[in-house]
Amino acid sequence: MKKYVFILLTVLLLTPLVQNARAGGPPPKNVIKGIFTKISASERTATIKVDGQDSSKLLVLGEAMSPEDITLDKKVMVSLDTHAGPNVIKDVSVMFFDMTVTKIAALLLVGLIGGLLSGFIGSGGAFILTPAMMSMGAPGAVAVASNMCHKFPKAMVGSYKRWKYGQADIKLGLVIAITSIIGVQIGIKAQKSILDHWGNAGSNLYVSAIFVLVLLIVGLYVMRDAIKLSNGTTEATTSKLATRLQKLEIWPMMEFKVANVRISAWITIPVGLFTGMLAATIAVGGFIGVPGMIYIVGASALVSSATELVVAFIMGAWGSVQWGISGLIDVRMTLLILAGSLIGVQLGAIGTTYVKDYTIKMVMASVMLIVAVSRGAKVPIYLADLNLIPQLQTKLSIVLNAVSFWALIAALLVAGVIISVAMAKGMLQDRAEKRTQAATSQEIAG
Amino acid sequence: MQQNDPYQTRVAVNASKQSSKYKSADTTATTDKNMQVSHRSKRPVSKMLLFGALSVGGYGLIFSHQALMTSTYTLGGWHAVLPVGTAFCFSFVHGAFASNLLSVIGLEPKKA
Repeated sequence: MKKYVFILLTVLLLTPLVQNARAGGPPPKNVIKGIFTKISASERTATIKVDGQDSSKLLVLGEAMSPEDITLDKKVMVSLDTHAGPNVIKDVSVMFFDMTVTKIAALLLVGLIGGLLSGFIGSGGAFILTPAMMSMGAPGAVAVASNMCHKFPKAMVGSYKRWKYGQADIKLGLVIAITSIIGVQIGIKAQKSILDHWGNAGSNLYVSAIFVLVLLIVGLYVMRDAIKLSNGTTEATTSKLATRLQKLEIWPMMEFKVANVRISAWITIPVGLFTGMLAATIAVGGFIGVPGMIYIVGASALVSSATELVVAFIMGAWGSVQWGISGLIDVRMTLLILAGSLIGVQLGAIGTTYVKDYTIKMVMASVMLIVAVSRGAKVPIYLADLNLIPQLQTKLSIVLNAVSFWALIAALLVAGVIISVAMAKGMLQDRAEKRTQAATSQEIAG
Repeated sequence: MQQNDPYQTRVAVNASKQSSKYKSADTTATTDKNMQVSHRSKRPVSKMLLFGALSVGGYGLIFSHQALMTSTYTLGGWHAVLPVGTAFCFSFVHGAFASNLLSVIGLEPKKA
């Protein structure tokens, strides 16, 4: 009882801290949404009907803007340049692109494979979905918001399925999710201070550096473990670190029945905090959450990946409400991705029942390492933006951007292939075993 | 093909054990062949079609009113209920369709 009062009090005390925490980062500031009704090329002004207001507002075109950049009668997001003066337009982006058959097909396909990955390793999908939506023409904030709104229903369905298979530890998921929300707030604060000191290029570099470092280190570690297990040189056991940490008797101790772990809350809290911080910084908190649950808390890869879906559901629901309040969700994109991902996530969940623990680790590590390459390719571009290295040739930056994008596609395809092959193998093996069993029992009966 | 199905073989083997349970479901079927048919009918084709139709209807409704959707769903404030609620509803309807679809195809979790 004392333990629950302690947790409740902690949550209540931390609530004011987290009320602005947004999974996937905060929405952009100095942005207004509305529809341009009139433009005057000679005076370089444009009249906008702002969302939720009856009156119109007169905006001035910034230096870099031309009257052709203003789209009339379409909902737009306008970034204001507060340094140049009040109501000066810095940038305009159309909020909703026209849906074409190709775009619909692409969203369905990416949703399906992203869902498969989520259902299997508990996270993933966001790293490809957000850039995919942006490359179709969605503004960054709308892409993040729409992805967030698809994440929570997908994770809800996935976690329900995996809970039914006896894999998801709801209690562990709740603890990690609550602490993650606090971590998100810390992550945003860190990012804000970097943005203030180093500007946009500095922030991009910081995000990429964290991305590449974390994914490389954790990815290589998980890969090494997975290879050892697949070779059969070692058996899947709780990590030494987790075993040691589980021995620490620091009040309050928490028991997680599905994960079969008894550990101090002071160990699970940092795992959640880092998951949240990473979610705020690079939008893929699961890449630290799942390895954290495996190697620090001591749960199996199967339970950790299932529990991560519970975390994703809570974080996603929280984030969706906040992004919805900001009015940035393009529900068409959300629903199209969901159409594929709700099938994918259940297929991935079924897949986990046929594979060994190390397959989950192998898929996770492969994805992490390829995504690290994708982000790493962008580092020279950001370094050049900060004048830390000489300016890059246009050709080289085009190549680097292409490498970055195609590496993401490769990550998705590699994961899709490994999961499908492992699942098919597992299913065939299971059928063969059942057939042999049936034949044996028939012989005995006969 | 049907004879190779492990479930059917098992049903036939366990017929004596399951007889009472089976009779309550269908008292007329007693042969192995009938049992196989009864097992096959468990595949939720009708459910899949029902939820599939609901899902297609929902998508049709939303995409035929794209302009209205995108303008009202992004007004912000309490309007956040709209996209979040819609995603929630679709997760049930389309999620149920997807679940039944996988069962109909024969993709089921491994039974311990």
